[in-house]
Amino acid sequence: MVEVRLEGVSKRFGRVVAVDNVSIVFEDGRFTVLLGPSGSGKSTILYLVAGVYKPSSGRIFFGDRDVTNLPPKERNVGLVFQNYALYPHMTVYENIAFPLRLRGEDEAAIDRKVHEVARLLHIEELLDRRPGQLSGGQQQRVALARALVKEPDVLLLDEPLSNLDALLRLTIRGELKKLQQKLGITAIHVTHDQAEAMSMADKIVVIDRGRVQQEGPPLEVYERPRNLFVATFIGSPPANTLPATVEHRDGYPLIRVAGSLYRPGERHAAKIREAGLDRVVVAFRPEHARLAEHPPEGEDLAFEAEVYLVEPLGRENIVTLEAAGMPVKVVTPPEERPSGRLYVVVPRERVLLFEPETGLSLDHL
Amino acid sequence: MPGRPRPGPAFFFLLPALALILVFYVVPLILSVYIGFTPLRDWNLQRLGELSLDNYRRLYHLVLHDPDLRKVVQTTIVFTSVTLAVNVLGGLVLALAMFFMDEWLSLPYRLLWLLPRMTPVAVYSLLWYYFFLPGREGILNSWLMSLGLIDEPRAWGKDPELLPYSAWAILVLVNGFVGVSFGMIVFYSALKSIPREQVIAARIDGASTLQLARHVLIPQIRWHIVYVTVWQLLSLLTTFAHIFLLVEWGTLDRAWGSNWALYVFNTAFLTQDQGFAAAAATVLVAVGVVLGLLALRLMRFREMMVEPKGEL
Ligand SMILES: Nc1ncnc2c1ncn2[C@@H]1O[C@H](COP(=O)(O)OP(=O)(O)OP(=O)(O)O)[C@@H](O)[C@H]1O
Ligand SMILES: [Mg+2]
Repeated sequence: MVEVRLEGVSKRFGRVVAVDNVSIVFEDGRFTVLLGPSGSGKSTILYLVAGVYKPSSGRIFFGDRDVTNLPPKERNVGLVFQNYALYPHMTVYENIAFPLRLRGEDEAAIDRKVHEVARLLHIEELLDRRPGQLSGGQQQRVALARALVKEPDVLLLDEPLSNLDALLRLTIRGELKKLQQKLGITAIHVTHDQAEAMSMADKIVVIDRGRVQQEGPPLEVYERPRNLFVATFIGSPPANTLPATVEHRDGYPLIRVAGSLYRPGERHAAKIREAGLDRVVVAFRPEHARLAEHPPEGEDLAFEAEVYLVEPLGRENIVTLEAAGMPVKVVTPPEERPSGRLYVVVPRERVLLFEPETGLSLDHL
Repeated sequence: MPGRPRPGPAFFFLLPALALILVFYVVPLILSVYIGFTPLRDWNLQRLGELSLDNYRRLYHLVLHDPDLRKVVQTTIVFTSVTLAVNVLGGLVLALAMFFMDEWLSLPYRLLWLLPRMTPVAVYSLLWYYFFLPGREGILNSWLMSLGLIDEPRAWGKDPELLPYSAWAILVLVNGFVGVSFGMIVFYSALKSIPREQVIAARIDGASTLQLARHVLIPQIRWHIVYVTVWQLLSLLTTFAHIFLLVEWGTLDRAWGSNWALYVFNTAFLTQDQGFAAAAATVLVAVGVVLGLLALRLMRFREMMVEPKGEL
């Protein structure tokens, strides 16, 4: 298939900068997920790749081919929309056949290809119906069939699962991923659902306000967020963040967080000294912390907190505590029912530190 | 089979409209059909009791033998059908053009086309009166003369050499400029309600603007096209205000520039032959009903009617 590359691409609509100097490589045959909140510019990036919009600046490559100024039809991409965008006046068959008819393929070939893709997506018995007579999941498959029937080099998916109910979404997520691997197609999938991104992606690209915040394999993005935005956007519940001050003892920086002192490791200490920080933001994921009756031995991060709310979710409990006036969430095993004043304990290797002004992780400074 | 909706509340809401239609449409209609069978003249109400088919016989005879009325009939057919085509197709083309335009351009463009509709009939007609004025002062004449295309000013709507086509062209032009904006507005708003993603999808699949219009956009506004066509057909059959003024002011030839509706008006209020005029009006209404139903049928209106969803 083809590798898709954006190089310093910006897109402005009047005074709105929807995409701001973005460079991304969408690897050949891989499933890349663009993840970001509403209005962050995800769809705009997709439309730039498709050729619906021309970039205000920067270049777009498909492999070695510079497609920056090519119209959509010369890019051979398939696009699936959140609202499916099926043509209501055409049958399912006609909808799927439409891209081929526009190319002027002969009817026999069209018929063969439509049936082939319909078989692949299990919608053969729907071919005579109109989109209005289909369920959301069926419409979604038809839209996918219409995008795939022209054997595109790149498959673009703009939140195609967000109109489906939770269970169906899980099923189709799996199917979609399998289908993509089977076809070996380069896929770019847009979503604001971080769980969907984690489960489907070979690579996640986190976007906020038109800029790439971080890119990398899902686990890396999850465990080593590059900045506070990524840390708090990904994860459910998201990472806890606590403002903290730096105190120097015998030339070594100590961090005062929620009333306790935490001694960072050498690497972080060096960064703090280097940058001359007197404040930092301490962050950790709710599932990386545990609750203890007594302060632990050793040098893990630990501070006192009062249990405020316990939400049992069956597989686990989400415990909300209050530490020095700030809320902290901790995930505990279901049988644990904490109450009263406790210690929140986070292993040193799980503690994330951020620079408060820029929000950048100390690891990335 | 879905149950028939109960008439109760629906009837209640329809009542005011029904009452209005009854008072201002059904009653006058019945009256005028009735008058068509009487020899009413000069508003002399004494003869309202004498019923006969005389008016219809006379009308039939005149249509066959009176050269002036035959011209009116031809003008009506040509004017109605050509203007209808211009209004519907022109409205469609304008709406599509605006659909593909940027908003900052399409808004003033739309307003421009609405201008004739916002102008009072008399003022609008006056503009055309000056435009086609027979003397050298006429705008068209002075343009053509300064371009050297003609030597002498012409009476565009009356010159026997140019009749009937010049009169017809003027009629179509004058009414078309007002008429297209109706279809334009209806079609444009219908196009705007088509999800943008469908257009993007078609573009990505390689549709040209023409293919996009033909396969994606126009099929989805079929209902609106039917509606505008029937509406315009009926209003063109009965329109006469501009035409009346342009004929009275001498811009248009009286016979080649009159349509049936104006003929009815003139017969009733100038010739004072009300019984005969009512008969002619009844024929017009009958033709309108038949053509309207035929158009709906041709365009398969029933197929497009959808069953209401759920219980009403
Ligand atoms: N055609 C347009 N004209 C003007 N502004 C636009 C246009 N398209 C997008 N924008 C603006 O660009 C920004 C990014 O929009 P975009 O649709 O790419 O966001 P998104 O990440 O896809 O959001 P969502 O998750 O809500 O779909 C928004 O501020 C939006 O208002
Ligand atoms: Mg979007």
